[in-house]
Amino acid sequence: MNIGKISLAIVKYIFLSIFLVISIVPLIWVFLSSFKTNPEILAAPLSIPEQFKLTNYKDAFEIAPMATFYVNSIFVSIIGTFSNLVIIGMASYAISRFDFKGKRALIALLSVSLLLPVTALLQPLFMTINKIGLYDSLWGLILVYAGFGIPVSLYILRSYFLTIPEELEEAAYLDGAGIIRTFVRIIIPISKPAFATAGVLQFLLCWNEFQFALVLTTGNDSRTLPLALSYFTSLFSANYGAMFAATMLIIIPTIIVYIFTQEQVISGLVAGSVKG
Amino acid sequence: MKAKKRHLLLFILPALLLFAVVFVYATSLMFGTSFYEWRLASKASFVGFDNFVELFQDRNFNKAVSNTLIWVTLQCTIHVGFGVIIALILAKKEFYWKFFRTAYMIPVIISPAALGMLYLCLFNPKIGIVNSVINAIGPGGFNQNWFFDYSTAFFTVTMTWLPYAAVITVIVMAEMASIPSSIFESAKVDGANEFQINMLIVLPMLRNIIGTCIILAATGAMKNFDLIFMTTNGGPGNTTMNLPLYIYKTAMMDNNYGLANAASTFLVVLGFVIIFVVTKISKLGKQVD
Repeated sequence: MNIGKISLAIVKYIFLSIFLVISIVPLIWVFLSSFKTNPEILAAPLSIPEQFKLTNYKDAFEIAPMATFYVNSIFVSIIGTFSNLVIIGMASYAISRFDFKGKRALIALLSVSLLLPVTALLQPLFMTINKIGLYDSLWGLILVYAGFGIPVSLYILRSYFLTIPEELEEAAYLDGAGIIRTFVRIIIPISKPAFATAGVLQFLLCWNEFQFALVLTTGNDSRTLPLALSYFTSLFSANYGAMFAATMLIIIPTIIVYIFTQEQVISGLVAGSVKG
Repeated sequence: MKAKKRHLLLFILPALLLFAVVFVYATSLMFGTSFYEWRLASKASFVGFDNFVELFQDRNFNKAVSNTLIWVTLQCTIHVGFGVIIALILAKKEFYWKFFRTAYMIPVIISPAALGMLYLCLFNPKIGIVNSVINAIGPGGFNQNWFFDYSTAFFTVTMTWLPYAAVITVIVMAEMASIPSSIFESAKVDGANEFQINMLIVLPMLRNIIGTCIILAATGAMKNFDLIFMTTNGGPGNTTMNLPLYIYKTAMMDNNYGLANAASTFLVVLGFVIIFVVTKISKLGKQVD
């Protein structure tokens, strides 16, 4: 009995550790390698860097227009998140408070889009964005990303609004406040947690998205950070250290955001997926 | 509050407009043009089902479909299985559970393109550590080009998705938190051990959520583009081609829009068929109970 228990525990820990190694070790390795010189990387992949110098990071900024890409990514992520929250926040509020014909059909339609593999919309969206003159523009990416975030944001915000007692708003309406004022003054402040959850997920979507950024932009002026990686694969063999540094430059902001907003990320992921 | 209809419209209109542009218009364009011969700069002409006929005669498309189906199956079974097992272990909430959950989620939240880059380096025969570790443990002289050798490419790409099992873990753990602890206590009083409790009590209660996770894993496998694009780009040959990559190449490299949209239509229909089947199966089990 005791031996069985102990061996079960050992199996358990081995299993957990294998997954831990898979998730963390590659990252640590890339982080360490980003400080190594090219000869060091080639001679001993497993070694620890001799010096922690930022040369590779400097090289990365020179090989690819990383600074421009950074600014673009930050712009797209902030505006993409903000516009998604405003647009879907308003719609979710109206849907959660007022009855109208076809409401259930509308909710169903908006939710089904979660199950649609968006890859399928690659060429049609390429065409649409071209037609409205937003090809190779940050605004085209913002439009597409704000759209992709509709189902998850809608679900998170709507379910939160439904838990707010209506008496709160009725008092405001009796005082003569309009729907916009009530929404801005009462609903938004109480719903901060829901906006934070939806916002973090939307931010990650904008920051990480690769495929549509690849297709909808062409010049360096409007490309986002993940696309910087193509500079380092196409020049493969040139400068491994800079390649590792570039990878870290893309990953680090996400990890920082994640560490500070872990609970929102997890509750948002759970809420967004359980809907499907 | 009824008098606010005008304002109501005002509040929903932007979202409807956004949804119409990104989803409704794009989906109808995809579906509609899949019946047209339409290439870059040429006028589209109606050809009926010709595109679909052409797809099924295309060796690359058939490979893409079979790979996508294999990956969907693997992700629905192995990934969901691993995710659930980890959830069952971590749900005991021993002191380390939060650390593990945080660590497991990191590959999930970072950019998949960067993750692809990371794996490309990791499995690289010159600079990667996978071969180094194998040589350090084994007899040495091991030199495998994981991503670009016909014999290992498919396996290696499959491995790159393993970390996504963490999503399943997180979702299942959230569901387990809602199971009242009195159920476990009474089972323990009745003399059930941990294994029995998990198999006979917890897992049946998790049936619905596992069904959801399977759907999630399937749709995830059907969307996967970034990781393959960054690593093998479908190669060597077409061994790691999948539907998203096929669509990308047909639309953006060959500029054959009609054919790409026919493949997209196929992907969307395939997705809904899989979701329908999974839902049916999990409901079927319920009626037997």
